[in-house]
Amino acid sequence: LSYFCLFHSGAYCKMLLHAAKYPHCAVNGLLVAEKQKEKKKDSHSTPILCVDCIPLFHGTLALAPMLEVALTLIDTWCKENKYVIAGYYQANERTKDFRPNQVAEKVGARIAENFSEAAMIMVDSTRFTMGCYEPILAIYDHHENKWKCRDCNVDSFEDWCEAQKITSALLEGRSYESLIDFDNHLDDLRNDWTNPEINKSVLHLC
Amino acid sequence: MASVSEMYDVTWEEMRDKLRKWREDNHRNSEQIVDVGEELINEHASKLGDDIWIIYEQVMIAALDCSRDDLAWVSSPSDMSSSSEQGTCLQELKRQFPGSQRVKRLAGMRLEALEKYEDASKQYDSILQDDPTNTAARKRKISILKAQGKSAEAIRELNEYLEQFVGDQEAWHELSELYINEHDYGKAAFCLEELMMTNPHNHLYCEQYAEVKYTQGGLENLELSRKYFAQALKLNNRNMRALFGLYMSASHIAASPKVNATVKKANVKYATWATNQINRAYQLAGRGTKENKCSVKAVEEMLESITMS
Repeated sequence: LSYFCLFHSGAYCKMLLHAAKYPHCAVNGLLVAEKQKEKKKDSHSTPILCVDCIPLFHGTLALAPMLEVALTLIDTWCKENKYVIAGYYQANERTKDFRPNQVAEKVGARIAENFSEAAMIMVDSTRFTMGCYEPILAIYDHHENKWKCRDCNVDSFEDWCEAQKITSALLEGRSYESLIDFDNHLDDLRNDWTNPEINKSVLHLC
Repeated sequence: MASVSEMYDVTWEEMRDKLRKWREDNHRNSEQIVDVGEELINEHASKLGDDIWIIYEQVMIAALDCSRDDLAWVSSPSDMSSSSEQGTCLQELKRQFPGSQRVKRLAGMRLEALEKYEDASKQYDSILQDDPTNTAARKRKISILKAQGKSAEAIRELNEYLEQFVGDQEAWHELSELYINEHDYGKAAFCLEELMMTNPHNHLYCEQYAEVKYTQGGLENLELSRKYFAQALKLNNRNMRALFGLYMSASHIAASPKVNATVKKANVKYATWATNQINRAYQLAGRGTKENKCSVKAVEEMLESITMS
């Protein structure tokens, strides 16, 4: 079985904006997909569309309580919006370090418990440019309790040209300064982790 | 491109004060520091008085973060001859304070930014030769180890440093983070205990300690974590992490098969209280946004789940 997920431009863009906002920190977050109505027998042929991204934390990622809170709240939000938590992304603190660590594997496994085709995504910061010339993700699938790396290229996107154009434009415009992650939300509850303003900007550029 | 003062309608004094606040709070908002600082230096240097030197230092470090080598230090001799403006930050500091250890450290940081770690290390060693108690140079050496991914060595060096400089809070906190990243929660807790002892009114240390204990797991640690989340709340009743943490720890304890009915009842009470406070906090913050309604709903579900068990 090989599942493949497709990234919506907004989801990709918010991941990179999160990493850009905190270049000196590790960052992580969740990816959500639309809940599929029926589970077809040959579901491996239906791609999972990662429609949105919820940035979670920056800095120290290896603590449990706030992660549990985030998963609980975001799970409820997903149910309201007919989404499902479909993936986890992480960018490590050190640029050259893009291998999944214990945190990534643990959270990824937790998500895979509820969603078997869950993907774990690592951001490769060494290839991070303002122009976004190529996708900079490594995608890992959960097989037999191990995480296996799968190639991520332009085919992993609903529309790579659009994703590239939007992400580059928002990076240039420093939109990452207004990106809200769950940490920001905990600092001030008025901070909205669904990032409606950025979503608007993405739609404008589509 | 519009200047900072134009875009935000601020005076140079306000810009200077903003830089000072960022300095005092140790904010790493390097892009903003460069934007504000560069304009201040270029347009208002004469008005800054002696403040200019500390601003040069602050802007130089921020410039390194943003790869603004033109601002931190000229990259080639030809640039030096062509500039009729004042020199870059490091140049100006070297000119004003020749032979200064503090400026030497900045030169070392530039080498670090270029990933010339061996040269940077030598720079710091030469500072330490003249002044073995120079804490800044020692901490930079540890930062190099961290940058190279040598966590075990960084931890070892930092422990040695703290044996000598036992009151260095920044160092204790850095060590706690290094331990957390290595999943060594016991040792991280020890570092935070040191910090709580010397800063009993700091709600952040209490709250972080509670998070570490919670992560360690087990009933005893959960109960400790609940106590410290509660303590953090006492010190600052608006600490949302402490409030959520109190809810999480209390409800986990209540749900544990190992606790007797009295303990269970008490923890259900704590968790319920916490949920109501969380609800209240969301109501206060809310503008009726969709996301907010979801959070409120989630919190209500949390409340139901405890009262049902």
